[in-house]
Amino acid sequence: MDKHQETAEPDLKRIEEIVSRYRDQKWPLISLLQEVQEELGYIPPEAIRPIARGTGLFPAQVQGVISFYEQFHTTPRGKNIVKVCRGTACHVRGGRTILKIVKQNLGVEEGGTTPDMNFTLETVPCLGTCFLAPSMMVNKDYFGKLAPPKLKSILQQYGSPGE
Amino acid sequence: MEAITITLNGREVSGYPGMTILELARESGVEIPTLCHDPHLAPIGACRICLVEDERSGKLAASCVTPLEPGMVINTESPKVVERRKAIIKLILASHPDSCMVCDKGNQCELRKIASDMGVGLVGFQKIPQLATIEEVNPFIERDLSKCILCAKCIRADHDLVVQGAIDYIDRGFASKPATLNDMPLENSECTFCGTCVAICPTGALMEKKRAYSGTSPVKVSTICPFCGCGCSINLEVKDNQIVRARPGAESAVNRGTLCVKGSYGYDFVHSAERLTSPLAKVNGDFEAIPWEQALALVASELGRLRRTYGPGSLAVLGSSKCTNEENYLLQRFARSVLGTNNIDNGSRLYSAASIIGLGAAVGFPGTTNHLDALEQSEVIMVIGANLTSSAPIVGYAVKRAVRSRGAKLILVDPQRTELASFSHLWLRPRVGTDMALINGMARVIVTESLLDEEFVAGKTDNFEALSKVLEEYTPDYVEGITSVTSEEVSRAARLFAEANVASIVYGTGITQHITGTDSVMALANLAMLTGDIGLRGGIFALQKDCNGQGACDMGALPNLLPGYQCVEDAQSINKFADRWGTDLPSDAGLSAIEMIEHVREGKVKGMYIVGENPALSFPNSTVVKEALASLDFLVVQDMFLTDTAKLANVVLPAASFAEKEGTFTNFEGRVQRVRKAIEPFGDSLPDSEIVLRLANSMGYPMPYSSLQQVMDEIRELVPLYQGIGYRDSETKDIYRAELDKDPLSKRRLFKGQFPSGFGRFHPVQYESPGETPSNGYNFTLLTGSILHHSGTGSKSSRSPRLSEFSPEAYVEIGESDANQVGINQGDKVKVISPLGEVIAAARFTDTLPEGVIFMPNSFPSTPVNQLFDIVLDPQAKTPALKTCAVKLERT
Ligand code: SF4
Ligand code: SF4
Ligand code: SF4
Ligand code: FES
Ligand code: FES
Repeated sequence: MDKHQETAEPDLKRIEEIVSRYRDQKWPLISLLQEVQEELGYIPPEAIRPIARGTGLFPAQVQGVISFYEQFHTTPRGKNIVKVCRGTACHVRGGRTILKIVKQNLGVEEGGTTPDMNFTLETVPCLGTCFLAPSMMVNKDYFGKLAPPKLKSILQQYGSPGE
Repeated sequence: MEAITITLNGREVSGYPGMTILELARESGVEIPTLCHDPHLAPIGACRICLVEDERSGKLAASCVTPLEPGMVINTESPKVVERRKAIIKLILASHPDSCMVCDKGNQCELRKIASDMGVGLVGFQKIPQLATIEEVNPFIERDLSKCILCAKCIRADHDLVVQGAIDYIDRGFASKPATLNDMPLENSECTFCGTCVAICPTGALMEKKRAYSGTSPVKVSTICPFCGCGCSINLEVKDNQIVRARPGAESAVNRGTLCVKGSYGYDFVHSAERLTSPLAKVNGDFEAIPWEQALALVASELGRLRRTYGPGSLAVLGSSKCTNEENYLLQRFARSVLGTNNIDNGSRLYSAASIIGLGAAVGFPGTTNHLDALEQSEVIMVIGANLTSSAPIVGYAVKRAVRSRGAKLILVDPQRTELASFSHLWLRPRVGTDMALINGMARVIVTESLLDEEFVAGKTDNFEALSKVLEEYTPDYVEGITSVTSEEVSRAARLFAEANVASIVYGTGITQHITGTDSVMALANLAMLTGDIGLRGGIFALQKDCNGQGACDMGALPNLLPGYQCVEDAQSINKFADRWGTDLPSDAGLSAIEMIEHVREGKVKGMYIVGENPALSFPNSTVVKEALASLDFLVVQDMFLTDTAKLANVVLPAASFAEKEGTFTNFEGRVQRVRKAIEPFGDSLPDSEIVLRLANSMGYPMPYSSLQQVMDEIRELVPLYQGIGYRDSETKDIYRAELDKDPLSKRRLFKGQFPSGFGRFHPVQYESPGETPSNGYNFTLLTGSILHHSGTGSKSSRSPRLSEFSPEAYVEIGESDANQVGINQGDKVKVISPLGEVIAAARFTDTLPEGVIFMPNSFPSTPVNQLFDIVLDPQAKTPALKTCAVKLERT
């Protein structure tokens, strides 16, 4: 949170800059949002008004679009995204315990981000690797047949899990 | 256009191409239920409840979005339709809460109505989890989105009708709901509480906030909003002689399903405990209630005595821009034929006399030259000297719609960044009081670059030579020097305005309340006539602050003009009225409102009769005005409340509110609309018309009217503008026929580009420095104006419990750097001082004002801003300058 506060100022400048590049395009909103997210990792609420001004939409409309698409995030996300599966196959093979231990390791709840901004923890309905259940993903890497002792070292590959 | 014929429930009916099945069905008297459809909104076909079957194919289609096709065989009630409709209703009800049973929307809930029509009960489905009620502290609107059926009507109304953008859907799936930005309560959003979404919501999801369950009322009375001059139709719902709800009148061409917060929620002043219930007489400095006969006898004998002793010129009458046409007509007749004086004026003197005179001289009739609809269809709109959002919200909606939905270009001329700035194509920020130089500058560009409509100028106007001579001086550079608007911007604005096929001008008190108000109006008329945008296409839209400012003037509540702007000094006119009324009439022009006060101070006017106006607050230099009124031999005030003016009276007569009487108001467009009685007068109060008639009786000069119908008949006969309205309808026992607003418009308009006198006249006008600039340590420029939640001096709005709860007191808007300079923090009490007086209010930081300029609202009786102003009149309109003056600030 603190970190986010610190970065609020430069963020707005960058946002204005991105917005200005889209000013004369016809249906700019989605690509504009994607670009903001790419640049900043998420779409901060402070970005909504400048984006609305730049696209001639109402702020509430911009928010509506952001909240409609799962791809857009409105809180800062960590450098690494951990996705633990909560699908049926994983569930019956102890997925709940895996989630619990990952939570303990990272010290955050679902949807949370570690204070050092290194990890964001999310869950997904099914990772599509049921044959490896229980499974999880870090960024683009899959990890299957998980057992609680393995978790710490997996996470450590991506940096310190923010103890 | 070829008609399209289809079979509808076995009957052949025809419509026009592009018409939907639903529209044709409604026109043919066939009921089809709808939830997401509203005639004011573009259809989206979301709810599917309006399904009908095309019997040729057996296909079901949503009738609200399906256009007619030749040969269709439509059944609106086939078994298939009914079955599907039932299924849809059941699905919706499955996620509906049990609190539905005691919902205040009651039988107005379209969902419940459709369910009961179809015999679907309220229970019997697996309930889907519901969203919680949102805790809201505003006094107007309550949201319970568990009752939301996601029809998006509120969102569409908010975006497409009032163009506010306060709400939109947030999230998806079951969690989806209409929400504000960051899902905050409405009071923390852009919402203006216009109530449009509440009126349009088909369920109890959006509701008017109520202290208690009041149920619904079968009694609906269609009437006109008593606040600003837009003239919105409202339907009052009445229960046990109480107004329980106001909704937008469905069929009004003015407000089209919308209202502003005053129209939706401000009516509750009618039930204020502060209403006067009986006549009062001042005895030894205190008011005592007295019966009507005694009060009228007292007033009659005192006015009679003054007239006998000092002559009719010692009496003066102030009529009201908030009273009906009939009342103002009676009042001016009372002044002229009973008292024998032309000393009659009305409150619109304070803000719109410049329009009456300026437009009267330039285009030949005194007022707006086209319909609101024509404004909305303009390609370029110039808004100058008007904060539409607060002073004429409905016109503001029309301008925003024009910009957003029709691609119109807005030229905004305002030193203040008003809401419209974000809709503008070009925003010019002239120094306060220099608009006229800017207008002349634009006119010069149009002339020198030959952008004018030469045919129009040559064929329909005169005095062009004189105009172009005066304009020579107004080069863009010269104008830049005066206004600080860059020469490029002046030229751009001029080209934009002139090159549009249809352009319109909207102006308000920022133009008229300066000492050069009349000249500025003429300059605007010049501009419009140069390009021919004066009514044949486009037009000039002169705003009115009060609900009947236009009508009071039309009715001749003016010192120099008889009803219909016929001059008192013209023998033929005065004789016409003298003959009709069977009495001699005074033929010298009387005193205008502010002149009355001057004559009181000089001891020439001894008695005044003030109806529905509050000069103690609305006039400049209140201290002097109050002293003057207190010094009168006799003052009688007729009002709903004990206003600051009424407190100074010898006799106070209690008047009925707009909801308690019949009559007509004329809106700023010139549309004459019916005011209807919804409830009985409060206490012993009486309609103003009734009081004037009784008073004339008591004075021994009865006026021969036994009904308001007869008054309107006479108006029709004697006022050319009003011919063709007000027929009797004996069947409905209505005083006037409902279609009053149908015709008189055309009489006012330049529909065929024809000026009443044949020619429009250019008036070369010169810019003069407003003389209200900072000096001598008075280093800030104060701007005053109205704000959305109040109107006039606040006599009504400050007594509306909801409006005053939401907006309880005055404030000083100031830029942060200006504030720092004086050492003022946000919220500090600030003393605003002019050479004439001082007022105190809390500071509010804003980034909407230019440096050195502060803003104060002028509608709070507890903070009488007008006492800071000296009495300086526009020499032509006799309107006092009340817009801006030099002040200094002190922290208290
Ligand atoms: S709140 Fe009312 S109008 Fe808005 S979407 Fe829900 S049901 Fe429709
Ligand atoms: S009350 Fe008016 S401004 Fe507020 S959300 Fe509803 S439509 Fe929009
Ligand atoms: S105050 Fe004016 S804009 Fe608002 S509802 Fe009344 S007439 Fe309409
Ligand atoms: S259930 Fe976990 S991967 Fe499919
Ligand atoms: S009313 Fe036609 S789809 Fe909703």
